[in-house]
Amino acid sequence: MKESVVRLSSLSFQYEDGKKILDHINFNMEKGDFVGLVGPNGSGKSTLMKLILGLLPPKEGTVELFGTPVQKFRDWTKIGYVAQQAAHGTGGFPATVKEVVASGLVGKVGLFRRLKREHYEKVAEVVKRVGLGEKLNDRIGKLSGGQLQRVFIARALVADPELLILDEPTVGVDQESIEQFYGLLRSLKEENELTMMIVSHDVGVMTQWVNKVACLQRGLHFHGTADEFAHNQDKILQSMYGDAIRVLAHHH
Amino acid sequence: MLADWWQYDFLRYTLFSGILIGLICPILGTFLIVRRLSMMADGLSHVTLSGVAAGMLLSKKIAFFGAVNPLFFGMLFSVVGSLFIERLRKVYKAYQDLAIPIILSAGLGLFTVLVSIADGFNTDLYSYLFGKIVTVSREDLYALIGVGAVVLGTVFFLYKELFAVSFDEEHARVSGVARKTINLWFMVLVALTIAASMRIVGVLLISAMITIPVAASLQIAGSFRQAILYATIFAEISVLSGLYFAYLLDWASGGTIVLMAVLVLMVVLASKKTGAWIRRMREENRA
Ligand SMILES: Nc1ncnc2c1ncn2[C@@H]1O[C@H](COP(=O)(O)OP(=O)(O)OP(=O)(O)O)[C@@H](O)[C@H]1O
Ligand SMILES: [Mg+2]
Repeated sequence: MKESVVRLSSLSFQYEDGKKILDHINFNMEKGDFVGLVGPNGSGKSTLMKLILGLLPPKEGTVELFGTPVQKFRDWTKIGYVAQQAAHGTGGFPATVKEVVASGLVGKVGLFRRLKREHYEKVAEVVKRVGLGEKLNDRIGKLSGGQLQRVFIARALVADPELLILDEPTVGVDQESIEQFYGLLRSLKEENELTMMIVSHDVGVMTQWVNKVACLQRGLHFHGTADEFAHNQDKILQSMYGDAIRVLAHHH
Repeated sequence: MLADWWQYDFLRYTLFSGILIGLICPILGTFLIVRRLSMMADGLSHVTLSGVAAGMLLSKKIAFFGAVNPLFFGMLFSVVGSLFIERLRKVYKAYQDLAIPIILSAGLGLFTVLVSIADGFNTDLYSYLFGKIVTVSREDLYALIGVGAVVLGTVFFLYKELFAVSFDEEHARVSGVARKTINLWFMVLVALTIAASMRIVGVLLISAMITIPVAASLQIAGSFRQAILYATIFAEISVLSGLYFAYLLDWASGGTIVLMAVLVLMVVLASKKTGAWIRRMREENRA
């Protein structure tokens, strides 16, 4: 059996106001998995990711990362994260693309050490890979929304993570760049057996690239390979979203 | 005139203190402002003031404290105040800046009460409020050198952590940055800087040194490093010219420095406008 990267055991969560958001989730990601997480607005996808990242404490059940309970996990450099709306409100910050992407190396370089030439070379390489090579020294306030989003993708990739958690990373990114982005993820996956979880509301595009799909609505409605999902897509989506979405799904 | 600055000890102390303040205030200020905590300095300076008043009161009532520089009480209060702000920031997550007026009012309230208990001070309180050149002592300078060394060392060795936490706290945490410790340490440094700069700039104007040069620098900086660099240049210009005129004209040093800083800001804004205008004219001519 392959190494377990993320393991959720009967994980439940509610915010302070008490409504149960996640209810006894059991879920496992093995090395090399590329999981697409699907679910309607407010179904708890972002919450689940924050639990995996240790940004929220589990109320019940456990989260394990690389075999270690998340509360004791210290190897954060193994993990890359793009938060939902990561770019929101950062436009006015006086920093260049290079500075922002380099901040993704902060854990890897280590306390009291300063960034060196080789780190900046790595930054330049990753920025080029997300198609922003020309913008390396531009202030982020000068970028378009989609370009800014790609800066945050680059920041998540720059430390060569083993696990990537991507919460709607492609919102505002144009069609062609989305294809490029997925292509980049696939080649990274092949190069270093990257494990990934991605949330996207563009189910049609996403499921072409991932190899597993998980459908979330308080509990897990479906959890299987991308092929199984494709075969039962209508039924699964209908049970999750209700009738309204079926029309949308047919368009793909 | 200029030779006076080398002849008299107090002027030399003032000059060195001013140069140090012009260095550390805008550096810390850049981090504060991008985190939208620019009012923090204001809140802490009022707490520092209450600490100074407490120190004066103690030295008036108890002989033992007579020898202790009230500055150190200011530092103590300021640090405690900064810890409170960190605490309050957590309680009011969605309204983080609310912590500042709370602390500010508390500081000012405490200050007025202490002054009334002491029934006024014979020491020149005015100099703590607005800064005064002749009051800078060797001890004040040493305190500032100590604080300055710690601030510069921290910014040098923890630059990337400070940047990461300022830019995106959540992501810094996921990258394994000891976010809480960094935040706390940073606030303590701000508190110490305010207390140590008080003699020159004055409690009521210290936040101007922390914010105005940065406000000017943000207009033209192309990167975060540049933002810090320009802010320190503008601050040094303001401090040096401000001290010079304050001595020449016998004005309050703090006020003069701050007016210079405002002048620098206006020059930057104006030249940015003219620059844009010239560029537009050129393009129109070409077309
Ligand atoms: N900080 C919070 N405090 C209280 N409730 C919250 C908080 N954040 C989210 N919620 C609630 O938790 C539920 C799940 O939110 P979450 O952000 O995980 O949904 P999501 O699946 O990511 O939705 P979307 O597709 O819109 O991003 C929602 O009902 C939301 O109202
Ligand atoms: Mg979400």
